[in-house]
Amino acid sequence: MFDIAFNNVNEIIGMNGHGIYVWSVYSIAISILVVSFLIAKNRIKGVKRKIKIKNAPS
Amino acid sequence: MFRLIKIESSKLFYKLKSWLGPMLIMILVLTAFPLSIDISQFDLEKFYFSIIVVSLLMTSFLATEGMFEEDFEDGSLEQEYLVEQDFYKVVLSKIFVYVCFIGVPIAFIGAIFSFANGVAIGNFINVFVSLSLSNLLLFNLFAFGNALSINKGAMLGVLTTLPLALPVIILLGTAIRSIQYGNGFLEIISLMIGMGFLISAIMPLIISTTLKTHID
Amino acid sequence: MISVIIHKFSSPKSFVQITKTLYPLFIFTGLFMLIIGWTWGLLFAPPDAVQGNSYRIIFLHVPAVIFAELIYFFMALCALMHIVWRVRLAAYLIKSAAPIGAMITFIGLFSGSIWGIPTWGTWWQWDARITSTLILFIMYLGILTLHGSFSNLEKSDRLMSILVVIGVVNIPIIKKSVDWWSTLHQPASISVSGGSSIDPSMLYPLIISVIGLGFTLISLGILTSRSYILGREKNKKWVLDHV
Repeated sequence: MFDIAFNNVNEIIGMNGHGIYVWSVYSIAISILVVSFLIAKNRIKGVKRKIKIKNAPS
Repeated sequence: MFRLIKIESSKLFYKLKSWLGPMLIMILVLTAFPLSIDISQFDLEKFYFSIIVVSLLMTSFLATEGMFEEDFEDGSLEQEYLVEQDFYKVVLSKIFVYVCFIGVPIAFIGAIFSFANGVAIGNFINVFVSLSLSNLLLFNLFAFGNALSINKGAMLGVLTTLPLALPVIILLGTAIRSIQYGNGFLEIISLMIGMGFLISAIMPLIISTTLKTHID
Repeated sequence: MISVIIHKFSSPKSFVQITKTLYPLFIFTGLFMLIIGWTWGLLFAPPDAVQGNSYRIIFLHVPAVIFAELIYFFMALCALMHIVWRVRLAAYLIKSAAPIGAMITFIGLFSGSIWGIPTWGTWWQWDARITSTLILFIMYLGILTLHGSFSNLEKSDRLMSILVVIGVVNIPIIKKSVDWWSTLHQPASISVSGGSSIDPSMLYPLIISVIGLGFTLISLGILTSRSYILGREKNKKWVLDHV
């Protein structure tokens, strides 16, 4: 169960001709997830900054 | 209730665009489709029903577009709320009038065209009943979409309620297949009648809550 | 009684405070399990006898579609709470969960399409499961558009909740579409009630991936809901103290 299913890196990338499908799906999904996290983090920062500016003593 | 039906009927009668437009579009689509593609009668008979279903979906959406908008804009909805304290009866009578004066004629047109495209004459009533019941369900759903989007345009209404029309389309498709293959029609139509009763009772309640949210 | 409990645990203030503490735990667990699950699935699980290596998309596709439906269920529960008990937090959570639901449904659709090319020979098929998942995606977009259409946010919250509750009728259709209609799509490989049709060497990484993606999405949900809550409650004293 824990033996690696491929013999070398080229096999991992190529996956017998299916690598293009497998890797493209994972890379795009991971990119979407990462971008979503970055947007959410930036939004929190932005909201906090706005609240601070609004309530700053003049 | 009878008073409301009378008022809604006369209101709809003067809104020519609302009732005549969908019927004309239904006729136009069903006539233009066979002309626009050059295929054999045999192939046409196979998928002409799909065009009827799509036209039904489109025209029922068109018919209910702006169902509550005018009443909302001119304040008559608010007035009705002050008098009745609820929209249930108003919505129920409005949907009833729309189904009777637009939905049923559209279903009749659809049935006539299906008859002209290979459906056996004995199945005319079956097709008409299936289309009418689908229209009853679709009108309730699109009325809900109209109540949600009220004065924000048709785009929002489509986006919010088209996914809800999916079960109706599936049911109608099953009913039509059962007519074509000649088995299980009674079961499907019973299910549609049951759903029709259920949705006609519940949907006005939901639409009423939605309209109250706009008025509040 | 229920109403008292719900109101006690559903203040936006306590939600923000509790989730701030839980976030590191969730994101760590989520990413750790995703890395384990995907590495196991992509490198160690044996190739499928029929599909070869293309089946490895399953470790992303299945978790994605599971959460596409689960997020909608979560939103429906929140919508019910908002309609019945007027819980403000519930509406905030729906608004925060909807974009995540749309995103994960898109990933599910996209990964399924790509998987379809080597397996079915086509990237799109108008079959029951794919079409109903597309409808779910449109539903998410509809909910977001509806919420963004009104300037009165309380009104938007309420209308959105009504739509979410009504839309839940489509979820069983999506779930059972592969059983009810003849489709290209295979029936569910794993089931809560047992009776999995998948080999353990593929099943374990799949389960780990599902849990990992679940924790990751909860973490993302915490972030989006926190920013939304802070924005909506910006005039409250607790927000000023929090910031």
